[in-house]
Amino acid sequence: MITFKLNGQAVQGEKGQYILQVAEKFGVDIPTLCHHKALEPAGMCRLCTVEVFDGRRTRYVTSCNYPIWEGMEVKTDTEILRDGRKLIVEMLLARCPESKTVQTLAGDYGIVKPRFRTGDDTCILCGLCTRMCERIGANAITLTQRGLDMKVDTPFSINTEACIACGACAFVCPTGHITYDKITACVTQRPGKPIPSEYDVGLKGRKPVYVPYAQAVPNTPAIDRSTCIHFKTGGCKVCVEFCGVDAIDHTMQDETVEVNVGSIILAPGFEPFDPSKFDSYNYTNLPNVITAMEMERMLSASGPTGGHLVRMSDHKEPKKIAWFQCVGSRDMNKCDNSYCSSVCCMYAIKEAVIAKEHAGKDLDCAVFFMDIRTHGKDFERFYNSAKEKHGVRFIRSRVHSITPVGDSGDLEVRYITESGELATEIFDMIVLSVGMEISPDVVEIARKMGIQLSEGRFCRTGSFNPVATSKEGVFVCGAFQGPKDIPQSVVDSSAAATAAGEILSAARNSMTKVREVVAETNVVNERPRIGVFVCRCGVNIAGVVDVPSVAEYAKTLPYVEFATDNLYSCSQDTQETISQIIKQKKLSRVVVAACTPKTHEPLFQETLITAGLNKYLFEMANIRNHDSWVHRNNPDLATQKAKDLVRMAVSKAALIQPLKEAELDIHQTAMVIGGGLSGMASARSLARQGYETHIVEKSDRLGGQALNLYRTAKGEDVQKHLAEMTAELQKDPRIHVHLNSTLSQVDGFVGSFKTTISTDGSAKVLEHGVAVIATGGSPYKPTEYGYGTDPRILTALDLDRRIMDRDPALKRLNSAVFIQCVGSREPERPYCSRVCCTHSVDNAIHLKETNPEMNVFVLYRDLRTYGERELLYKKARSLGVIFIRFAREDKPKVKVENGRLLVTVTDHILGRALELEADLLTLATAILPNRDEKLANFFKVPLNADGFFVERHAKLGPSEFATDGVFLCGLAHYPKPIDEAIAQGQAAASRAVTLLARKKIYTSGTVAEVDPRLCSQCGVCISICPYSAPSWIEKGPFAAKAQVNPVLCKGCGLCVASCRSGAIHLKGFDNDQIFAQIFSLSEAV
Amino acid sequence: MEHMGIEPGRLQFSWISSAESTKFVEVVTQVTAAIKALGPNSNFAKKMAEVA
Amino acid sequence: MSEWEPKIAAFLCNWCSYGAADLAGVGRMEYPPNVRVIRIPCTGRMDPKFFLAALREGADGVWVSG
Repeated sequence: MITFKLNGQAVQGEKGQYILQVAEKFGVDIPTLCHHKALEPAGMCRLCTVEVFDGRRTRYVTSCNYPIWEGMEVKTDTEILRDGRKLIVEMLLARCPESKTVQTLAGDYGIVKPRFRTGDDTCILCGLCTRMCERIGANAITLTQRGLDMKVDTPFSINTEACIACGACAFVCPTGHITYDKITACVTQRPGKPIPSEYDVGLKGRKPVYVPYAQAVPNTPAIDRSTCIHFKTGGCKVCVEFCGVDAIDHTMQDETVEVNVGSIILAPGFEPFDPSKFDSYNYTNLPNVITAMEMERMLSASGPTGGHLVRMSDHKEPKKIAWFQCVGSRDMNKCDNSYCSSVCCMYAIKEAVIAKEHAGKDLDCAVFFMDIRTHGKDFERFYNSAKEKHGVRFIRSRVHSITPVGDSGDLEVRYITESGELATEIFDMIVLSVGMEISPDVVEIARKMGIQLSEGRFCRTGSFNPVATSKEGVFVCGAFQGPKDIPQSVVDSSAAATAAGEILSAARNSMTKVREVVAETNVVNERPRIGVFVCRCGVNIAGVVDVPSVAEYAKTLPYVEFATDNLYSCSQDTQETISQIIKQKKLSRVVVAACTPKTHEPLFQETLITAGLNKYLFEMANIRNHDSWVHRNNPDLATQKAKDLVRMAVSKAALIQPLKEAELDIHQTAMVIGGGLSGMASARSLARQGYETHIVEKSDRLGGQALNLYRTAKGEDVQKHLAEMTAELQKDPRIHVHLNSTLSQVDGFVGSFKTTISTDGSAKVLEHGVAVIATGGSPYKPTEYGYGTDPRILTALDLDRRIMDRDPALKRLNSAVFIQCVGSREPERPYCSRVCCTHSVDNAIHLKETNPEMNVFVLYRDLRTYGERELLYKKARSLGVIFIRFAREDKPKVKVENGRLLVTVTDHILGRALELEADLLTLATAILPNRDEKLANFFKVPLNADGFFVERHAKLGPSEFATDGVFLCGLAHYPKPIDEAIAQGQAAASRAVTLLARKKIYTSGTVAEVDPRLCSQCGVCISICPYSAPSWIEKGPFAAKAQVNPVLCKGCGLCVASCRSGAIHLKGFDNDQIFAQIFSLSEAV
Repeated sequence: MEHMGIEPGRLQFSWISSAESTKFVEVVTQVTAAIKALGPNSNFAKKMAEVA
Repeated sequence: MSEWEPKIAAFLCNWCSYGAADLAGVGRMEYPPNVRVIRIPCTGRMDPKFFLAALREGADGVWVSG
């Protein structure tokens, strides 16, 4: 350690360090233009010249490359130095009068115009570029020639192969003399282009050291070996110099790790279809033809244009955008994907609506489609509002090609309208709604593992085992199982988890470790002793905020016993230090001024626990995300803000109290309400994982609506599989089936429900920890199309029954007609019943196969055979089934005339009325929800406008409710086919097991609590709480006052703010604590 | 609020989802500008003890 | 002081705006350094007393965001 004087203050540095390095560490600013942390200093610009006094005389040295020595005295800011620097800057300005950097510097020294003859250069010959190039390992450029002719150049001034076009020279150039364009023009022989960002689908570049996207897990940067300069030249490693914690090791190697597992879940996802092989769409050559993935990024606030909608060719705001559906889907002509990708209709509509929201009402959005497939929950509503409210145009036409309009960037499309006319339209931008594909790598994995694939290269699964692959113990979820949207993928993933859990349940908890519990120190009724830890976060905070002064300031605040700053507060060693300090200084409250509590609070709370403090005795001041990162050009105000935030946090910390987390046993029994397929699947999963399960079924047998179905879309016999499943459930001693039973009362909450069921008039109370609602739906009984007036008019389920009964009359029919959307997609029922198209198409195939001579017609509005069900549609057409589309406003008409059953429909191609004689008319009727308000009330779960139950989250929580301990599956959620109903049954079981397996749950400590002495019994809290946490006390001294159940309370504070008596306190965010923060907004006087 | 002598513009409300960082920045900037335009809050703030 | 800068008390919902503020930081977006954030569990927690107290304690404005 070397001690010397810097501007009169004693400072210390390591042997071998230069003056500039030490000065930087102590916050002494020395101007320099040619210094870079990662490069050897060269003393080129001379701006960093300082005075060194050695006891006898003063010398002038460049601080960047002058090593420190014991006892030296350095002055960095004397008048002579300033004059010298001013002269240097003046000469630089004369050389480079146009350089912004030099101009700014000249301004600082009060130079308006140089006294010397001015030149027109932009290079100050600092040599940063040549030193960087050497460090990179390319050695492509150097300082050539002598004296006045000196310049940065390549040997012989010709483009060189040695330059790897990495751009590091341009990056370090302080004056902007070197640009990327210049590198390509005069330096390198290689094409210099940015590394395309995978996340922004190539619309933006990224660095070789990068975090894939802002929410990536883990959120740590990685080095891309294929683009990192070090792995090309062996040089560079500049990043190592900048990493404050020595985390970078370029010698790390990939490791092959062997893990012993009992089950494998495949979730490899999909790849968006690459439209560049469609030459008629010219995706590769026309910049304004983009894929939907590119559009997603452009509409995103974090995207390449910050959410501002502009087209790629000229950054002009588009006035007209078109979406082309089914690009790479439902297409055997130009690609090999005959399946429907299921999600593109919905995402195109969403993009069109968002585009209009971003760009305003005047933006014209047109979607070119074949069938609009909005078969998901609430999707049809969205489609209707896109059409009616947002004015998105929907054009039923498949466009053949895109033609550029001269060099304008505009795009011309010609298409055939519905009435058969040729139309031409010009758009500013065209979005290709690309479909999903399974990548060849995944196909290869499947081949290696011996897993069978479907025709569309998706994983082959059975409807009754929707997540099991052809290989035992290997499960699948997500788009590899079949093209699907987020909710369905989330359902699948839970189902796959439970399927793996079923075979591994014996091993549960066999590899867990028990944590050592440290006894909690009592801090109640003691004077608070607060410790403040201010984090530098490397340079993330310290680069802007004066961290030491914030820590010093914290020491002056009331009750603060200790304050310090840390390099990285979240690092393992600092955590240990904090824990030590808490014990040594007997701290009773801890404030960490660092990043955001949303990510780091749990970590610091863990540290408190290891130091024997209650984890709620903790408060964070967010001086990174809310301060240093967003005010980096305002260091003084940022430091002031940091002090304010610390003061506010300390004032709150003084008032915080240790909180208890209530412990609650989870009753190890489940109840499934509804004995249909999804309820059965749920019960089977629960039982297979070892849990006692009650099934409550209102009818006299298990099976629900599946009892009425003939076969699945994959051709499996429903009754055979259903019988097998029923037998398994009846045999399992852990499953208790209660037939002819309904719920009459439900008490309790998550972990301890007490439900009264009545079976044939007798009541019984069952205790259970969780409940799965699988109450199903029912078929719509049509009043339209003459149903009930003629025995030849059936519903789809009636037809299934006839097929199952092997009705010989079916074979003798001459013609059969199916009418779709009977009761679905109507104003009073604005949802799609999802299953009916596939059902009718499959039955049409069955009829055609029984009697190929039969004329079979399917009258439809949009044919929604999503996913690989599309193959059935294709098959039906090839068998000769005739599909005729009708509009909702112009429905088919059914009449009986002289004993003949006649169906009249307007053919959309001929534009004429067609009369079909039907021997059989099948109505594809809607699936109706049960709208079970009583059950909704029992479990405090919501129903939507249609009467289906509302899940916790439409995308991320499809199989559970917002109410803890209650889960959802099957038709009660939304109409769905057998495979999806079973997957959701398994998913609901999976979510339930996450609770059951914990055996005990701990509630949050930050919950509301009533002081019954102050309660005025107004009942506002009880009516206002969205989670039903408050209730009346039933007996005791405080009977009829309110109480809050800490298990149900989510700590939102709604009741606290609404309590007119001030009787409710929110622990952790109590009035006095928030007031303390408010009172310390301004500094105490 | 006006009754108490506070300009209503001093209290601002907004709704921002946790993903809308751009909107957050827009709103902060807007709120700051709006309040800056109103000038220092002098009508309601606790007066500091005047030192003679 | 060259120019008067207001001080604004911001009551941000932990789940919504507070998260947006965090993300703004991650995106290194710049905005005026006048707000002082008080984290509340939900805007439902907001009590009229809070904003009156804030104005009384010298804040020039109060911003509540859910």
